[in-house]
Amino acid sequence: MKTDLLIIGAGPAGINAALTADAAGAEVILVDESLQPGGQLRQQTQLFSNLPKNKKKTRGTSLNNHLVESLNASNVKVLSNHAMVGSYLNGNIGVTDGFKTFEIHAKKYILATGAQEEGKIFPGWTLPGVMTAGAAQILINRELVLPGKNAVIVGSNDFAFEVIKQLRICGVSIKAVVEDKDQLQSEKQDLLSDLGNITFLTNSTIELASGSGEVEHVSIRTPSGIKELEADFICISNGFTPILEPFEVMNCKFTYKEILGGWLPAYNMNFQTTNSNCYLAGSAAGITTLGPILLTGEIAAWSVLEELEFISPREAHNQKKECWEELMTLENNNVFQKRTEIIADSLLQDNWNPKSYFTELQGGQIHG
Amino acid sequence: MDKSTIVCRCEEINIDEIENALKNGAQTFDDIKRLTRTGMGSCQSKVCLHPVREIIADYHNKDLQDVGISRMRIPLKPIRMGTLATESKDSNVASVFGESVEEGDENR
Amino acid sequence: MQIKKHPILGEKFTEEITFYFNEKPLKAMKGQTVAAALMRNGIRKFGVSRKLFKARGLYCANGRCTSCYVTINGLDHVLSCSTLVEDGMNVHSNESDPDVGGIYN
Repeated sequence: MKTDLLIIGAGPAGINAALTADAAGAEVILVDESLQPGGQLRQQTQLFSNLPKNKKKTRGTSLNNHLVESLNASNVKVLSNHAMVGSYLNGNIGVTDGFKTFEIHAKKYILATGAQEEGKIFPGWTLPGVMTAGAAQILINRELVLPGKNAVIVGSNDFAFEVIKQLRICGVSIKAVVEDKDQLQSEKQDLLSDLGNITFLTNSTIELASGSGEVEHVSIRTPSGIKELEADFICISNGFTPILEPFEVMNCKFTYKEILGGWLPAYNMNFQTTNSNCYLAGSAAGITTLGPILLTGEIAAWSVLEELEFISPREAHNQKKECWEELMTLENNNVFQKRTEIIADSLLQDNWNPKSYFTELQGGQIHG
Repeated sequence: MDKSTIVCRCEEINIDEIENALKNGAQTFDDIKRLTRTGMGSCQSKVCLHPVREIIADYHNKDLQDVGISRMRIPLKPIRMGTLATESKDSNVASVFGESVEEGDENR
Repeated sequence: MQIKKHPILGEKFTEEITFYFNEKPLKAMKGQTVAAALMRNGIRKFGVSRKLFKARGLYCANGRCTSCYVTINGLDHVLSCSTLVEDGMNVHSNESDPDVGGIYN
């Protein structure tokens, strides 16, 4: 199979990249291992603000429906239920549908493979009933199935609070939120006020999750002694890290930025990795929020379109400039700062600023 | 934490076994992998990578950014041999399988 | 436990189907994954680990952790989180490593 652009991962970043490239006339194949496109956005019922192009506040699930509808209306060839299994010596990507394995040769690749949730080990964390917060969210919002009745939540980041809220409206009772640090990690005070009376246990860890073949009982070590709870499921919310293995087999170099999720592929201002045929987008390029995820997909696509000469350097320049400026406004300052450090490294510079970079480029270098 | 707590879910390697590997000179994730099978199971270190890195960082008193990642190889997902060796003509993997079968036949 | 009417998403599934878990007939909704179909029926232990034979079930729900393996229609080590349940499907718990050869014999 041959194409101009192969995108791995049909989450918001991959879909947005695919739509951008398709609209400019490129032939695009979009591969995703799930049964349906949408990635993790499929089950995000919470409201998202700070979206690009002044888009108004919207539910993740609604935005997902919109993206998938646009995808269906486009010429993008979507291969759902297909997984990337590796790369070949000739640079092609191997893809499987579970029955056969085949190669896809593309002129350029965008890996938008997203992030995974980090586990948190404690005695009994392998028992059925212990799952990531994302898994619980998939159960209630995609599958309409309750993971249990009484939950203990491990971790207190923003995502934990969103999931707690969603579990509660489905009728789950939250027995406790266990945080090993000395204070709750979420800075979203509005979420906290919504949550009402929940037992928050800081400086606390799970001593043991136990039960006969599944979670029935949770012992929590708190500063005031062991607290015993009857609970039938435990959600772990310990943050996200970029998925690395597709980049490793594509021979991309990695870098480390704690706030972006730890280890992640290195890239330049075009979201091009150290493998010049391989670009990236979304959470794979650092853990961030939905608006920036969509924008990184767009920047990667404009860069590929420029490289394949579907658009002029001038148009590419203008489009990327606009996206970078919007990214700078929408993204958390600390996250954006670390992102620019990765780009400065790629240029062997001490720092990088999108505004001055694009303005200087405009001073005569751009033709077309 | 109880040293018998499982870290690698697939191969069921606990904290004690990982610390033993570290006592025996393991420096990296891959050292621990070779000594204990940590990360060699069906998920291929997708779940235990960062928890093991934390144990390495603690043991060697390093920052987490100074503890590298595991070597990740093809196939990226569990895949059946039959699926990997499909009849598809454009699969390099299939051609390698075909050649080795033919060579075996010649030697008979 | 099935959520009959989701507070935000409303009703999503319409068709009820029957599948079998360890020979026992169970109901599920068409469109659900095998993992969800089991959990809907209160079954959370999908099998055992390969070395210590400890209980295992859904953990990541994203096809990465392989903790949710079951046997489906005779094919072992299938990710129940990434496979849709079908009418008449035979699901068995994952009790051990596969026999060499398996279904391709």
